[in-house]
Amino acid sequence: MHNTKPILRRMLAALGILAITASALTGCATATTKAVAVASHDSFIIPDKLINQFKTETGFYLEGGAKLGDAGTLTNKLVLTKKVPVADVVFGIDNTFAGVATANDIIDGELVPIDYADVCFNYDKQWFVTRGITPPSSWRQLTDPKYKGLTVLENPATSSTGLAFLFSTIAALGEDGWPGWWAKLKENGVKVAAGWEDAYYIDFSGSSGHGNYPIVLSYSSSPADEIDDDGLSRTVSINSECFRQVEYAGVLKNAKNPEGAKAFLKFMLTKDFQSALPEANYVYPIVKGIKLPDAWARFAKPADSFVDVSKLDFDANRKARQKKWADIMAG
Amino acid sequence: MILKRALQWALPIFVIGVLFYWPMARVLGQGLVGDWLATLTEPRVAGAIWFTIWQALVSTLLCLLIALPAAYVLYRKRTPGAHVFKALLTIPFALPTMVTAIGFTAYQNQGIWKSEFASQSWLNSPTSWIILAHIFVNFAVITRTVGSTWMSHSHDPEEAAALAGAGRLRIFWSISLPQLRPAIVSSVFTVFLYCSASYGLVLVLGGGQVNSIETEIAAAANQFLDLQEAGALAILQTILTIGAFAIGNSGSRSVIGFDVQDAGKAKQRLDRRDWPVAALTLISVILILVPLVLILQRAFVDSSGSPTLENFVALTTHGTRNLLDISIGQAALNSLRNVLVSTVIAGVVGTFAAYLLTRPTRGKLQRSVSRILDTVFMLPLGVSSIVLGFGYLLTFGDGWLPLRSSWVVVPLIQSLLAMPLVIRIVQPALHSIGAELGEQASTDGANALVTFFRIELPLAKQSVAAAFGYAAIISIGEFGAANLLSYGDQATLPTVLYQLISRPGGQNYGMAMAMAAIVIALTFAVVFVSSFPNLNRKPRRPRLSARR
Repeated sequence: MHNTKPILRRMLAALGILAITASALTGCATATTKAVAVASHDSFIIPDKLINQFKTETGFYLEGGAKLGDAGTLTNKLVLTKKVPVADVVFGIDNTFAGVATANDIIDGELVPIDYADVCFNYDKQWFVTRGITPPSSWRQLTDPKYKGLTVLENPATSSTGLAFLFSTIAALGEDGWPGWWAKLKENGVKVAAGWEDAYYIDFSGSSGHGNYPIVLSYSSSPADEIDDDGLSRTVSINSECFRQVEYAGVLKNAKNPEGAKAFLKFMLTKDFQSALPEANYVYPIVKGIKLPDAWARFAKPADSFVDVSKLDFDANRKARQKKWADIMAG
Repeated sequence: MILKRALQWALPIFVIGVLFYWPMARVLGQGLVGDWLATLTEPRVAGAIWFTIWQALVSTLLCLLIALPAAYVLYRKRTPGAHVFKALLTIPFALPTMVTAIGFTAYQNQGIWKSEFASQSWLNSPTSWIILAHIFVNFAVITRTVGSTWMSHSHDPEEAAALAGAGRLRIFWSISLPQLRPAIVSSVFTVFLYCSASYGLVLVLGGGQVNSIETEIAAAANQFLDLQEAGALAILQTILTIGAFAIGNSGSRSVIGFDVQDAGKAKQRLDRRDWPVAALTLISVILILVPLVLILQRAFVDSSGSPTLENFVALTTHGTRNLLDISIGQAALNSLRNVLVSTVIAGVVGTFAAYLLTRPTRGKLQRSVSRILDTVFMLPLGVSSIVLGFGYLLTFGDGWLPLRSSWVVVPLIQSLLAMPLVIRIVQPALHSIGAELGEQASTDGANALVTFFRIELPLAKQSVAAAFGYAAIISIGEFGAANLLSYGDQATLPTVLYQLISRPGGQNYGMAMAMAAIVIALTFAVVFVSSFPNLNRKPRRPRLSARR
């Protein structure tokens, strides 16, 4: 028995270390901090100037931010981690996912609208001019054989832009009508990309990637970023029957720094932050009376008409609809 | 004696109990709450299950078909340059999965696939690319396992058969194949296990159009918030992988793909009748090099194809439109930290468990307890990192051990994935030293601790070092758990590479290629330094293979 003691002692020491580590992991959240962590979707940008301005004005500073995918994945990941959240404040939950955030009780207080954008199809002007084909004037024409193999759009399961359009078709064509329309769209050679970046920058022929598809699901503001040397935009937005996507921010429940989170929320509604939104994020400021960049007046007009989604319950059968869509597009 | 042993076992059992069996029990509970049968028979889910099984079968069989000739040429015969070829084959499984995935996207984006004809071809479907990538990664697992066995077989029966007039194919079929059967069976099931648990390759090359059980588990959690479906799928996946693991494990207790020293037996030279298999092997090796060469080439050109170094310069940025939360350098530091932590945990706990497993057993009861403990510690080999990561999401979100919010969570999972392999490598080494040595030392007055550190550990040094190396390779390449559980500033090299390749606009594509090129260059350096012992005068260490 004499030789068991050293091993026993070492094992007890190891267990002790393990216990100390475990308690250190749990007990580190109490210190007061000036750092604010922002969770957002992948496309969100805060210009450096504003990051510095936030620090000088409030004493809080941005650190440890996390980009968590599209608006849907962002919301779901925040639900999955809500007991010990990965950030203090969230930006980018949109109107199609606000219900999920509320139902799962992840927001401390209210979701605050910050900006909006209109989901519309864009086309490559030059492509249609050189081929002498009339470009479409509504998304309803995209099942026309004339536009076979020309359209790229985003997967609603992985892109909030794609989901917004799926909801548009459900609202416009009815619960019985949309599956048939999508089946025709699939037959007409539509390409499904995982996210807006892939669709717009890789597959779309009218932007930097010079892809193979002259029609893309994007935003009414996108043409303002495609201005040629002649001062005209290479692309056009089809502004009828679009979907207005509103983006919200909110303080996360159980945040380490709720004060800092509230300060950032307030900062997002200041004139300086709102004025920077169009150029940085291609969205319209929610605060009225903010001056838009010059090119926006010509090439980034808001949509002319919208699909009426007021009667559509986004949360009802969310998964069933998405699965149905996946089945149609897979088959 | 028994009390002492039981107390010694307490630490490793505590570690694996809390960190593996508890979260797995939560997964089981989560999966069985609802109507799991209805969940698993939904068209989308059933499709993913079917895809997982058939692609794994096809990948494995094709892999076997090209690996057998390579094993023959590189191990059975004396082939000029075999040493270099064997080292080249090591590279695909030492590479992080995400780098392989990026290599195949470069392959996919080659101009010839964009032509009208090729873009319609079945060869250019996501499924074909996934299968090709699986062959790329696993080719060497079969080649090495079968080759090592083949190498040691006597030539006499074959020569006798040849004298009696039997042809090469007939000799292979009736003499070599039966002898190789255990090695083939265990390596084939191991490859099937890897292919069915593959996550990163399906995610990137499938592009969302093709889904496997692994990607559906992650999607159910992250995209649909459906934990019951994720749980049901995780149970099914675990049944599948543990089944494959159990069969693969029954044939051979050694680590699959672990290279055996060349016995130095006289091998026959390649002759004229071998040229078809030799040509096939050469083609396989060249095809393996293509994705690697493409990455290197892409790293040095811009989007219009002109040569540039700007992709490497861009590595200091956060990508186009500030996509990344941290720079690639910070991600590399996170990865390095995870490697250190997970390797130490897996190495120390694994070596300790291996030590305990090799203590002499007396009586039937002790022997069966020992066998059960062996299984208890091997089981994590049959579980995918996504399933375990999902278990952690369920178990450690809050409560008395809220590990999920700490960076430690990722290296902990990685250490569990590596621990069984550490045991498998160290156990035979300790076993061969034998207990007599320890008993001898203990009658001379040394206690167990002194005996272990002064005698057994130094003798098993090479195996222990190899085990640590193995654990490090697993940690550096691990993607599934890291992608599920590391957020924001905890990103690792593979998760950052994934972010870049899944948002390939602007500079991001070039950055992914540049980073992948650096990883490939480092892997080449490590593999070649460790493959040619004469260059660095260190004793040759066995090289490693298993990964996920």
